[in-house]
Amino acid sequence: MITAGIDMGSKTVKVVIVKDGEIVGKHMLLAGFEAQEAAETAFAASLEAAGLTADDIEAIVATGAGRKNAPHTDRDITEVGSGAKGAHHLYPAVRTVIDVGAEEGRAIRCTEDGKVLDFALNEKCAAGAGAFTEAMSRALEVPIEELGPMSLQSQNPTPMNAQCAVFAESEVVSLLHARTPKQDIARSVHDAIASRIVSLAKKVGFEPEVVFIGGVAHNPGFVDSLERALECKVIIPEDPEFIGAYGAALAAAES
Amino acid sequence: MFTKMTEWEQNRHEYAQEWQKRTGGKVMGYFCTYVPEEILYAAGVLPVRILGSHEPQDVTEPHIFGMFCPFCRDCLAQGLKGRYDYLDGIMIAQSCLHIRQAYTSWQKHHPVAFDYYLCMPQRVQSPRALPYLTGELEVFKTAVEEWTGKTITDDDLDQSIAVYNENRRLLHEVYALRKQNPPLLTGEEAMEMVISAQMVDKVEHNAELKRVLAELPKRNGGRETGARLMILGSEDDDIEFINMFESCGATFVTDDHCTGTRYFWNEVIPRENRLEAIAARYIDRVPCPSKDWEERLRIDHIRQLARDWNVDGAVVIQQKFCDPHELDIPATRQALEDDGIRTLFLELDVTVPIGQFKVRAEAFIEMIGDEDLFD
Amino acid sequence: MTTGALYETKPLNCWAKAKEIREEYYRDYANAHENGGIRWAGGAWTFGAIPCGLGDDVWSLTSEPYGASIAANKLFSLRCLEATEKAGYARDLCSYMRNYWGSILLNEYAFGGPFPKPDFIWQDHICCSHAKWYQVVSDLEGGIPQFCIDVSVGPYHEINELKLDYVVGQMHDGIEWLQKTTGRTYDDAKLIEAVYQECRSTALWAEISCLNKAKPAPLDEKTMYSLYVLGTLMKHSKVVADFYEELRDEVRWRVDNQIAAIANERCRLMSDTQPPWGFLSVFRYLEQFGAISVGSLYTFGLIGMFEVKPDGTWGPRTTPQEQGIEITDREQALRILADWNLSKPEWQHFYSPHLKTEMMVRIAREWSLDGVILHYNRGCEGLSIGIAENRLGLIEAGYPVMTFEGNMGDEREFDLPKTTARIDAFMETLGIKEI
Repeated sequence: MITAGIDMGSKTVKVVIVKDGEIVGKHMLLAGFEAQEAAETAFAASLEAAGLTADDIEAIVATGAGRKNAPHTDRDITEVGSGAKGAHHLYPAVRTVIDVGAEEGRAIRCTEDGKVLDFALNEKCAAGAGAFTEAMSRALEVPIEELGPMSLQSQNPTPMNAQCAVFAESEVVSLLHARTPKQDIARSVHDAIASRIVSLAKKVGFEPEVVFIGGVAHNPGFVDSLERALECKVIIPEDPEFIGAYGAALAAAES
Repeated sequence: MFTKMTEWEQNRHEYAQEWQKRTGGKVMGYFCTYVPEEILYAAGVLPVRILGSHEPQDVTEPHIFGMFCPFCRDCLAQGLKGRYDYLDGIMIAQSCLHIRQAYTSWQKHHPVAFDYYLCMPQRVQSPRALPYLTGELEVFKTAVEEWTGKTITDDDLDQSIAVYNENRRLLHEVYALRKQNPPLLTGEEAMEMVISAQMVDKVEHNAELKRVLAELPKRNGGRETGARLMILGSEDDDIEFINMFESCGATFVTDDHCTGTRYFWNEVIPRENRLEAIAARYIDRVPCPSKDWEERLRIDHIRQLARDWNVDGAVVIQQKFCDPHELDIPATRQALEDDGIRTLFLELDVTVPIGQFKVRAEAFIEMIGDEDLFD
Repeated sequence: MTTGALYETKPLNCWAKAKEIREEYYRDYANAHENGGIRWAGGAWTFGAIPCGLGDDVWSLTSEPYGASIAANKLFSLRCLEATEKAGYARDLCSYMRNYWGSILLNEYAFGGPFPKPDFIWQDHICCSHAKWYQVVSDLEGGIPQFCIDVSVGPYHEINELKLDYVVGQMHDGIEWLQKTTGRTYDDAKLIEAVYQECRSTALWAEISCLNKAKPAPLDEKTMYSLYVLGTLMKHSKVVADFYEELRDEVRWRVDNQIAAIANERCRLMSDTQPPWGFLSVFRYLEQFGAISVGSLYTFGLIGMFEVKPDGTWGPRTTPQEQGIEITDREQALRILADWNLSKPEWQHFYSPHLKTEMMVRIAREWSLDGVILHYNRGCEGLSIGIAENRLGLIEAGYPVMTFEGNMGDEREFDLPKTTARIDAFMETLGIKEI
């Protein structure tokens, strides 16, 4: 069976084509102002990557914050449901899914058969983990890809309070003025966000295995902070930002 | 000069465990300075105040909703992280709703052999509060006797009261040395002194205070006093913050904190009924804003402190989300400003952004200094 | 019955009357001085029966429902909140209080005209803000005499004579103070009558709440808010007690005839704490899933007085009149009033969240719930205290829980799309699809 999943995230749109449980095509685009258009383009591109046409797709399920606006869909599921489904399909032993994207952090606890038991989403004051690291990389004048590796070199991290991203940004500026090495600042930023995410994980009562999905999973500095705060290793799938779309495509195969 | 106090303050857990071993007595962790320590001490128990550690933490999110003050969450974190595992008991005396949650979550998720919730009345201004609290203290005394297996006699209470009153008098004497110019100690030292008093056997603390009192007059400055400030508001044991402020050209000369003057200001005045005497002390003490109604009596006390310690400016702080203080701060600032004392308001969290606060501290001190030019 | 609907629904017959009582209440307070009457202000939890002894022309303005009325009017509320912030008060304080202060600062009464200044304040202190709320009111109004009773004597199961003496002693002092402040002579007969009525109305509200154990539920929580509010205005009045009796009869009739609050009840929930008053549409959103909130400890137990019945379930607390107790003097009236109020379910959690969890689990069981939605209410520390522990306790008892952050009286702290997104995810985990 061939199905598609469309993840209408707050910053990017991800499309995945799945054939018998395997990803055969995928594409990601910035959502921009015209998320629907971006979804159409990403859908076409992922079909092309899979060497298929729209007629080959038997069912399409949307997910993500903008899922009601996704084109061509048969139905939609929430990002909580799709994240759990995708992660569980890849790693049946998963009990906790941590999902950190541009604007939201989530912790999901699931059962042996992948059913969602409980979930926690960040509150207003701790919003925007992904967006926050981007702002920090601008403040440090470091490309976002380098922020992670840089923080791994930190020698002397200083704890900082990042309940509020706006306030934290000016704290970073103070640290820069105090000539704190960028490596240490990067590490502090990651530690602070990781601490907020781990609070969510503890709220749902996390148990291993922990699968970490969402775009921020590409940042090795953040992963390191997260693992230290969780006091356990996390599993990161090959394409962490596509797991929501993948879960949606799997859901499409069930319906 | 204050090394011993600093050591106690920094190694609070080691001290309490060592005390436990040395004396074979029980250690009681308490959450609010309305706990009548005299009764515990009379039973041979060491009361230690539970405070936070000023580190970011991620263990309290499942237990306390984020709109409650960082202090109560920091305190609970200490318990959940097992840093107070040596405690034989925990207790709270009723005050604000925030800190109460640290107690109730600790009680459930990190149980201790003995726990106690003391219904300290909130309306301390009512004549009904004294007989009521006296009655509650009788019940409490019995509970402590059952827990420790020791009968608390009037003699025990008298001795305990004497030790506690002596501590209060000695702290007053040291505070008096801050009235002069230059003050003989910094705000940071004063804070370490009072906080250590909340953690150490008062007999030892008294001995150390006497030594300090003998030495202090020999101290010869070496430090610019700068602006004479007072600091007031919620619970505050943020020594790093005090230090930052005092490094910007100012010295704190007095305070109104429960980690400062509010803790030791009033003595127990002897009465035939010892428990009634103790009850009266806690009812008549300088109140926490949560108990300061219907009249606001604390404000006049603060104004008097500012006059007596010849204060140039006041730093008004609160723990983020501390409702009782938030409800008094506008009136308090107004009263001080009416007396010609400029105020700076800052909100404290578990950790404070030193860089950003430094800018405010420097600007405030500069502002006070500028005003002096035109006097 | 709508095609496809599971149950018949029907609006309440006595709805218009509830609205009328509420409107009259706010009007009577504002106009009290026209006929030489007295205006007093205090909380919904205060011992309102006591000022009744001053005469029949004594009208009150209870603070929380007034703050909520402002909150329901988003534009006015925003102006009130901003006025309070401009006056230097912190933004994270109780949002009812900030709305109320704003109404004074703007000198605008939510029901038209200038803010009607109370002649005295008669409050009780339940949370950190209650007594201090009125310190500020007095500051803003240039001084108003105030009397505030401390009720913090511990949970009901620990109440003893010493604790009652403390509360009752203050009540006696309060009566002396009322006489001195108003220059009126106190009439104990009127007090006694008010105590009877208060016990009657609050037991009736508990009975109405218990009728909602029925499947389908005859009332949904959104409707209950408009009805329970009368108890928060004047739980001691005969008007409210009579109305609750009429309502009880109508709700019982609905139960007997399977008249449902929503047509497709398939998922029964409860909430907790005051809702974000400007966004009651959240409850309508639930209906799309056939989900209904049948109440909460807040809606049941702030006004309703309960007791455990011989079969082990919750029912209305037996009133003194039902027990054949005849109240003959002031002391007895005050003691009964104090004891009655200290048993308030919504009061116990101030001492321990674990007591509240027990009651919530009881409701979940007896009202046959499928899940719980907790409002982490940034506007009220008094009812949000311990809420995170309640969540843990309910999960431990086997009930799925969803939480959302918001504010009962400050719409700036509530995010509607994020909340409905959470509801979607919660419904998905409960296996419930949109109808």
